[in-house]
Order: sequence, then structure tokens, then C-alpha cells
Amino acid sequence: MPPRVAVKNLKKGGGLFEGVKSNIEALIVGIKYFVDPKRMTLLYPKEYPEHRPGYRGFIVLKKDVCISCAACARVCPSAAMKMVRVTEADPREPGKARQKQYPVINYQRCIFCGYCVDVCPVEALYHLPFHDITYESLADMFLTLEAFQKEPLRPVEKEGSPVVYEFDESAGLVKREKKGGA
Amino acid sequence: MSISEGTIGELRAKGVEVKRLEREYYEIFIGPQHPGSGHMRIIVRLDGDIIVDADPDIGYVHRTMEKLSEGREWIKVTPLVERMTIIDACNVTLPYINAVEKLMDKRPSTRASYLRVLLCEINRIASHLYGFGIFGVFLGHSTAYMWGFGDREVFLELAEILTGTRLTYTYHIPGGVRRDMPQDFPQMARRAVRYMRNRMAEYEKIFLNNPVIVSRLRDVGVISKTRAAELGIVGPTLRGSGVRYDVRLNEPYEVYSELDFEVPVFEEGDALARTLVRMEEIKQSLNIIEQAVDWLEKHRDEPVIAKEDYEKLPKLHKELYEKTGRVKLLPTQISMKVPPGKAVARAEAGRGEIFYYVESDGGVMPYRVRVVTPSARNVIVFKKVVPGHRLMDLPAIYGSIDYFPPEADR
Ligand code: SF4
Ligand code: SF4
Repeated sequence: MPPRVAVKNLKKGGGLFEGVKSNIEALIVGIKYFVDPKRMTLLYPKEYPEHRPGYRGFIVLKKDVCISCAACARVCPSAAMKMVRVTEADPREPGKARQKQYPVINYQRCIFCGYCVDVCPVEALYHLPFHDITYESLADMFLTLEAFQKEPLRPVEKEGSPVVYEFDESAGLVKREKKGGA
Repeated sequence: MSISEGTIGELRAKGVEVKRLEREYYEIFIGPQHPGSGHMRIIVRLDGDIIVDADPDIGYVHRTMEKLSEGREWIKVTPLVERMTIIDACNVTLPYINAVEKLMDKRPSTRASYLRVLLCEINRIASHLYGFGIFGVFLGHSTAYMWGFGDREVFLELAEILTGTRLTYTYHIPGGVRRDMPQDFPQMARRAVRYMRNRMAEYEKIFLNNPVIVSRLRDVGVISKTRAAELGIVGPTLRGSGVRYDVRLNEPYEVYSELDFEVPVFEEGDALARTLVRMEEIKQSLNIIEQAVDWLEKHRDEPVIAKEDYEKLPKLHKELYEKTGRVKLLPTQISMKVPPGKAVARAEAGRGEIFYYVESDGGVMPYRVRVVTPSARNVIVFKKVVPGHRLMDLPAIYGSIDYFPPEADR
């Protein structure tokens, strides 16, 4: 059937009996969850979520793969990615130096849209499946080329245990401890 | 204490100057830091307990999005405009992309359309549950708040699995979407749908049929059908007053005309009716999600972007798409030029009709992007409907129109 309008009407305001009945019904539901609560709260940092591989989290550069095309810096909608010029040893001509450009990221600005990862023609950038790192100062959030190539450590992995959420018909989301650690 | 005419006469005779005061009203400022008002202020003038005048003071989160859009390339506008209604990001960015597609004369593949509809409906539910939670806490019903925000998480999790992020999806690109759904997605979606269906009955018991809540909402903030049309309000607020208008029905976009769903309309026009419209819409959205995943499961052969675009992808990109479902962007898409012209597009977002006017001068950036958001149109309710009610009715009316300040301010 194609989409259609369904006109409905409110239930009429009931009398005393209706009122008492619906009050009791509300109480029963309340008591049900008081006795058997279905909690999905994440006890961060004692627990931390393991996201699926497609999660758009922190970004890492594979410098050897990068062809310096600057597409990532051009596509960035918040100007978080910038190209820097470095002088490095030329792998093709030993002993000689060459100038090359590589991207660096500024996490003060990044909105994790993932455009840069999607636009890179050689897959030199990839996402990590997490998002929870804090920096001590704003300056630290502007990664250097070295830092941009390292997968950052997730501090919560030291103190917490990983959990995954699963869909469940009776409780919505169910939190489960992930087997085998991180 | 009032002074009798006689006394006034005596005082005047003694040479005392007596002036009658204008009637005094009590003025209160709700917001902008008020926990219930969001990023806005309502200046309310009270006569005792009765509101004589309510003035919504908007603009606290105005971010000049329309102007900013003129300074960035076409695909970079999406991450910008989705930030006006971050809880409904899929629905509010879709008409922008639709308008750009109209200018480029591009049609998304059917699979992409179904994926868009799927995410839009997941988003609609999440957005309604968010509004519902806030509404609950406005009325002092903190259980509804916890439930709404908890169950919203179920749908955000679905959206995260589909797009890679909870809220700012940036999912649409001209001609398609950025990712296909994972293999196990239909299964998870169906479980979430079945859960929410059963859960709705409990929502009714603890909140919607709860006599305390009903007495706060029934016959409060009544907007008649003619009045609703006059005020130009949209969305569930309009349908709660009996007007049969839903963009998905009146001007179908994507694949909505092929789906089987109802557009719930209530005639009463009070706060209760508006709340119920939203709750009924959640049920319908659940149906749509089921239909969409069924279709997507059966028709796997099509790419999630327009065929001609897919053909043009390099081999590495195609392989990656086959393997991960991710569609790579081409560097040429960054500075893509859109043929000159004007286009409009509209969609039914969680709070009502959202309208875009997009104009191109043939360059790499839009010449003009005009957005009319549902909240910007519904804010008039504060001015025109709230006066005459008691102060305690203000949160009930506010919550029932599900007003979202950042969306109105853009
Ligand atoms: S994820 Fe988006 S905002 Fe962040 S660097 Fe990449 S393109 Fe820029
Ligand atoms: S898009 Fe990829 S290859 Fe090009 S500069 Fe960025 S990281 Fe390097």
C-alpha cells in the first residue's frame, strides 16, 4: 500500500475508574523496572566500548604509502589537515636529499567526517576505531608528522576492560564483556 | 490593598498628588542559561499565574550557516549544515544534496535511495526520542527522560554501524551515499525494531496514559486547524492540529512513494495530540526500517552511488568497495563544478518540513544556500499560542512542539 494519512483521535478522558486503572498500570511498569532494571550504562573508564572496524575515529598516516597529492588537505571541510614540507633522504638516490610534502592533522579542528580517509587515492590514511584521547595542551592536539604516523595509545585500555553492545529484543542494547581482552 | 475613591479624594484635598498606576505585570526571563530553555530566552510577562505575553528571544546560536555555505565547496557544505540539527543530521542534509542533484541532473541509485531512507527513519526515531526525553523532564517525569535517552541509544548504535559515527553522519554525497550497510545490519535492525515495538506499549503506560501527564497536556496549547494553517507551522505540530501535510506524502522524495506507511494525524490540536503524533510516527518509522532492510537485503547487485559514477572509479576503489562497502571519494569531487541554475528541495525532518533553495553560478562553491528549518517556523507558537495559559503550561507547550533552538537559528 502506498503512504497514506491515518486520522486518529485521542482517547476520551475517562472517569475515576480509568484514572485509577492507568495510575496502577504506570506503577506496575515502574515497579517492574525497579525490580529488574535493564541498564546499558557504560561504566567508563572501568569499561570502554569496542567499536566496529568502520568507526570513524582518530586518523593515522602511512607515510611510505603517501604520494603527496594533497587531496586530503583540500577536502578537509574544517581545514584540520595541512601539508608540511620536509626534507628527507631520497630512497631512490642514496645519499641525496629530497623535498616532499606530507599531511599533518590538527585535532583542535577535526570533526571526524572521514572525508580525508575516503579521498586518499592510495589508502595512506586510516581510521582507528576509537575516539577517546585527551591532550594535555591545545598545542599537543596539532600533531607533528612523527606523531601522525603512530597509532595513539588509548589511555582507557590500561585501566578498563572492553565491552561490546549487542542488540536484544527484550532489552534493546545489552552490554557484554568482550572475550579475550582488547 | 486598594484605596477607595473616597480616600483618594481626601488625599487630593490635602494636596497630595495621587496617580493611578498602570496594571503591573511580573516579567520573568526563562533562559538562555535556563536548563529547560535550550539556547534561547523566552521573556514571559505574567499577571499572577497567567501568561499575558511570551516573547521568544532567538538567535543565541546563529552561526551564519547560509553565508558560510557560500565559501566552501559543494561537498563541504554537508558537514556544516548538519550541525544545525545534530540530532537529526540525516534528514536535514538530505534536501541539500537533493537540490544539488537536481542541478547536476544526477539521480542516486535505488539502493542509495533506500539507504538514505533507512538512515532518515533511524534518525527520525532517535530525534523523536530525544525530544520525548526532554519533554519528560520538562514535566518533571524523569523516567521518561531516562527512557527516551536510553532507547535513543539503540538507534544511534544502528546509525553508528551504518555510517561510522553516532550523530554527524555526513552520509549523503551527490549521486549516492558513502557506505553500504554491513552484512549483519538487517538482523540487528530487525532486533532493534522488535524491541522498540514492544517498548512503545510501556511508554504508553508509564507516560502517555499516565493521568498526571494527561492532565498536564490535555486541552493545553490548543491550535485549531485554521489557526495552524495561518501560523504556517509544520511537522508533528501541524499534524497534531488535523492538517494532512507531510512532505513524504505530498511531495515524495527518494523512495517514500514505494513504501507502505501511515502518516498519523490527530484532530485535537492540543499538547497531548502533538505528543501522540510523534509517538505514532515512531511506530511508522519502525515499519519503514523493516521494509528498507528487507529490500536492501534482496537487491544487492546495485552500487550505492549512481551507476555512471561507479563505472568511473579506479580499480583500487572498486575493490575496496567490494570488500568494505566504503565508497571512496575522487579528488575531482572536491572541486566539482555544478551547472548554473536554481533548485529547491524539501524533506520531512523530525520536526517538520525543511526547505532548501540552492543556486549555482557554475562555480566550485554554491552561490546561495537558503534554508528554512522547521523550528524556525514553529517558534511562532510561543508568541501566538502561549499567552492565556498558566505558567506551568509553558514547558508542556514547549516540549510538545519539540522546538530545537540551534535548528531555528542556523
Ligand atoms: S576527518 Fe574530516 S575534519 Fe578531520 S582531518 Fe579528515 S577531512 Fe578534516
Ligand atoms: S590524500 Fe593520501 S596520498 Fe594524498 S597527500 Fe593525503 S595522505 Fe598523501
